[in-house]
Amino acid sequence: MKSLLTFMKKEYLETARTGKIVILILLFVLFGIMNPAVAKLTPWMMEMLSDSMAESGLIVTNVQVDALTSWTQFFKNIPFALIAFVLIFSDIFTKEYKSGTLLLVLTKGLSRYKVVLAKTALLLSLWTVGYGICSTITYGYNAYFWDNSITNNLFFSVIIWWLFGVWVVCLIVLFSSLLQNNAGVILCVGGTALSAYLLSIIPKVKTYSPAVLMNINSILMGIEEIDAYIKAIVMTVFLCIVCVAVSIPIVNKRQL
Amino acid sequence: MDVLTIQNLNKNFGSKEVLGGLDMSVPEHSIFGFIGKNGAGKTTTMKAILGLLKADSGEIYVMGERVHFGQTNTNRHIGYLPDVPEFYSYMTPHEYLTLCGEVCGMGKADIVTRSKELLELVGLERERHRIKGFSRGMKQRLGIAQALLNRPKLLICDEPTSALDPAGRKEILDILLAAKEQTTVFFSTHILSDVERICTEAAFLNDGKIAMQGIISELRNKRSSNGFIIEIEKKEVRDTLTEAFSELQCTEENVLVFQGDGNHFFDIMKYISENKIPIQKIERIEPTLESLFLEVTK
Repeated sequence: MKSLLTFMKKEYLETARTGKIVILILLFVLFGIMNPAVAKLTPWMMEMLSDSMAESGLIVTNVQVDALTSWTQFFKNIPFALIAFVLIFSDIFTKEYKSGTLLLVLTKGLSRYKVVLAKTALLLSLWTVGYGICSTITYGYNAYFWDNSITNNLFFSVIIWWLFGVWVVCLIVLFSSLLQNNAGVILCVGGTALSAYLLSIIPKVKTYSPAVLMNINSILMGIEEIDAYIKAIVMTVFLCIVCVAVSIPIVNKRQL
Repeated sequence: MDVLTIQNLNKNFGSKEVLGGLDMSVPEHSIFGFIGKNGAGKTTTMKAILGLLKADSGEIYVMGERVHFGQTNTNRHIGYLPDVPEFYSYMTPHEYLTLCGEVCGMGKADIVTRSKELLELVGLERERHRIKGFSRGMKQRLGIAQALLNRPKLLICDEPTSALDPAGRKEILDILLAAKEQTTVFFSTHILSDVERICTEAAFLNDGKIAMQGIISELRNKRSSNGFIIEIEKKEVRDTLTEAFSELQCTEENVLVFQGDGNHFFDIMKYISENKIPIQKIERIEPTLESLFLEVTK
């Protein structure tokens, strides 16, 4: 247990000293501010463009923006933040395989599963804090400008998108245990998320696909209820556990 | 007692056989040189001892405990220095040793005193900078410090001196020699002068097998040479001698080499003294590790 904590401490030190934490905080703060800003600026931009749009036959009437517009922006933008997150942390395992830094701590008696657990814990905590910062900022501005209460199941929506991010983090762990370089990790994580999205087109599979957790608009607007997401939530939690559980024996058998 | 025992170790990479039935044992408190050409399988053997690489067959025992691939409790007896040690470059040497100490479960006070002691031994006690800017020699020295941190019974070094300049090499060899007091040193190399300088025992690895193993002095005696070298000053002397004794071969301008029966050489010496031939030096050809190495790896 002590060596697990030691290795986690090392992971946080690494993220801090390599500047990744600063980049991450800036990224999520920026995304958090961007959502209400875009919503706030939309009417003004429409007005600016109205003349040229009128020439092409489009008539802009009074554009109404509210908290819902801002939250729609949030769920539209947050995938990009997640992609950036994957890009930044895709080398969290592979860098250590390549440079051989892991060799010394493993020969000092650190169990390999603790490496997997420590890195998973780091990724999950960073994703949670980053996502938390981003959504809190959006919530704050929305409360200031408009009224958050016009959305349906807001807290639930924010949580299930976070869960989707957790699944992606677990995919990073899984593919990092399998592959040698970070380009492969990025491709495989992206590919898996994409195939989950494509599978969700098939009606029978749809309710179980983690990609459903990204489809937030319908629940925010009150078209769908919480029940519609339960199967996907259970499935996603299950897949997360499987990803990490499978990574451990793979890393154990890895030749370094 | 043997700290390390290897029995019939086999390893193939694809169709290429790297180790073919390697048998070896390393006695306690020795400095053991593990000699082989580049690509002979030295690093493979070491990684198998550390449980980092799965051997196809064979058994390895460290302090009498069997080594298993992947999960290795036996590593608590071992300190390891890879050929190019890589550290977390954003840490200072002190921070790195603290990390290693905590990983192997040492007490806080013990880590502090031991790190101080070892950083002094390897000459890095004043280094406050991060490892990022370290030279290769400094990394090698820090590598030895981390390897010795938990007082291992066996210190394994993979070509610790290969990439260093003469001064750096001497430093590392001196540190290894000093480490002998605390542990058994097992190090691979292809630099034979290093072996002659510090090793008490050595093994030659060739074609995936141990071609020869033993105490250095015994190894040398295995191939006792009966050759002599005569160095002379003048060219005329050389001609006189080669005319008188056909078995003398001229290898360099003023050097004659005699190979053959030792008794016959007395005849040559007698001839030299009777004719008062000026000689600079007569020397018996010492069997070197190099000649041994070349012979076993032929």
